[in-house]
Amino acid sequence: MPATTFRIFRYQPDSGETESYHQDFQLEHGEKTTLLDAILRIQNEQDGTVAVRYSCRSAICGSCACKANGKTVLACMTQVEHVKTDSGQEIVQVDPIGNFTPIKDLVVDMTPFWEKFKAVKPFLIPDGPAPEKERLVPKAAMEKIANESKCILCAACYSECNSLAADPEFVGPAAFAWGYRFAADERDGQRKNRAKLYSGEHGVWDCTRCMFCNERCPKGVDPRDAIEKLGSIAFQEKVTSDKGARHAKAFLISLRTGGKLNEILIAPYTDPLGAPFNAPLALRMAQKGKLPKSPLTHKVKDRDQVKKLIKNVKETI
Amino acid sequence: MPRQFAYYPGCVAEFSSKELNATTKALAPLLDIELLPMPQATCCGAGDVAEAKPNLYLTLNVRILSEAEAMGVDILTICNVCTLNLRRANKMVKDDPRVLEAVNEELVKAGARPYQGTIEVTHLLWFLATEEGLSLLEARGPRGLNGLKVAPYYGCQLLRPSSVMGFEDPDRPQSLERLITALGGEVSDYEGKSRCCGFPIILAREEVALKESHVALSGARDAGAQVMVTPCPLCHLAMDAYQRKTEQLMGEEYAMPVLHLPQLIGLALGLPTKTMEFKRHLVPVDEVLSIVGA
Repeated sequence: MPATTFRIFRYQPDSGETESYHQDFQLEHGEKTTLLDAILRIQNEQDGTVAVRYSCRSAICGSCACKANGKTVLACMTQVEHVKTDSGQEIVQVDPIGNFTPIKDLVVDMTPFWEKFKAVKPFLIPDGPAPEKERLVPKAAMEKIANESKCILCAACYSECNSLAADPEFVGPAAFAWGYRFAADERDGQRKNRAKLYSGEHGVWDCTRCMFCNERCPKGVDPRDAIEKLGSIAFQEKVTSDKGARHAKAFLISLRTGGKLNEILIAPYTDPLGAPFNAPLALRMAQKGKLPKSPLTHKVKDRDQVKKLIKNVKETI
Repeated sequence: MPRQFAYYPGCVAEFSSKELNATTKALAPLLDIELLPMPQATCCGAGDVAEAKPNLYLTLNVRILSEAEAMGVDILTICNVCTLNLRRANKMVKDDPRVLEAVNEELVKAGARPYQGTIEVTHLLWFLATEEGLSLLEARGPRGLNGLKVAPYYGCQLLRPSSVMGFEDPDRPQSLERLITALGGEVSDYEGKSRCCGFPIILAREEVALKESHVALSGARDAGAQVMVTPCPLCHLAMDAYQRKTEQLMGEEYAMPVLHLPQLIGLALGLPTKTMEFKRHLVPVDEVLSIVGA
């Protein structure tokens, strides 16, 4: 039977402990013991004050996300032995999820998460009066939002989100996965309004594409892909005044006019008002030859094909 | 017979970061690689076109894959973002024949060659960090870094999502470390090496982006690195060109020279410094050159 040292994050401000620290616990456990079962056994057998949030133990409720050797996981669907082989470490360090404030040991304050979740209006808002019978939805229409419907709101995707670390106001991956789930639901009547709501200052264009959310989601929701699709909905609804959307437009213009990125165009097009503030950097880059000499985009061979594709290819989101 | 690749340098390496393209081309013959040009290849869309028009993104990227297929060789990239976009499109059409069929219909309608799904996309780092690549380096006696303390900086999109990238464990990457050691350098390890540089949003959300790049720059500095190396020209722009802005925003000094991966290899193999165009960097690399005796 394997024995493991668990190095658990401790922080109990209500008991007068103002500083956090890590405490080691030794535990003999089975080959397939989950991290949550190990923590609960430590709580039951060694120290009843160890605090952890959990409920279903079956990867449904989304309560027990934490970090195991630095990587965000659901404690109930992660085996202790896997943590060790995966991280190449014999000791298992357990920390609360990142980008949140710990309240007590592994329990964090989820208030900002729920506020952001509520802010995306995560419910159907159909147009017109309620129908007499239920609204029937074709299978193909539901398949479009099947992935996002799997979200269990565990916040694993927020834990290592790099944009959230830099901008605590960023609405974030799970909330936008839900936003997309309703924006793309054919029964919903708020597609354009949602596109506007999600395009604000801390909205979809804040996402830095670090891909940690896709990597960490225990349910395969791929929140970054949902954010990307919300960008596409914004384009279809012509909600494109945000600098992030203008940045994407500059790529489309570059493709249409030559095929490769026009680096002279992209900065002033993205942020026309900010151009004067960026002048010192632009000048330094120009002095180093970092800005292309010609304002024209580079032309690829057979670019008539590219033009035809831009004209013909229809979007289906 | 040199190993042939369809060479997809990406837009930034062809324009604002020309030093990367020039160094890669100069390095290739030393590593017995032949880089074949792709005259039809467009921009990969850098995630932006995928965001604005996902079907167009897919079709344009498959057109690029198809050009390489017509040449009969796999694609070699030198940019994280290009690698992710091309690999993602490749996976989408390889995973679902119906998607491939729909994309090919558009390609044929536009007069482009349909894609059969036979091409792989690899990054220079991945190629060199394999046994084949390392033996090519070994053959050149590459111990020239003279103990230079190098902070590996991966960025995001060469590691994640691992379902698309898959070369190495995104949480414990070792390819850059393997190369740095093989080249006679010393690895300065730090936590921020696979955090985001912020570049994708640097024009739209500059402050958020600079706060992100601060994590890696300060981490590399605190680990005692004399230089940072990156496999991505976009990370390079964020770390090198924007470094002074990040210093101003965060009120800190990093003084961290940043090399493109081929430049680090070029230094170890004795490529002329002029060829590698270090003068185009915004953070001077003079100290690095003097440590390695270049």
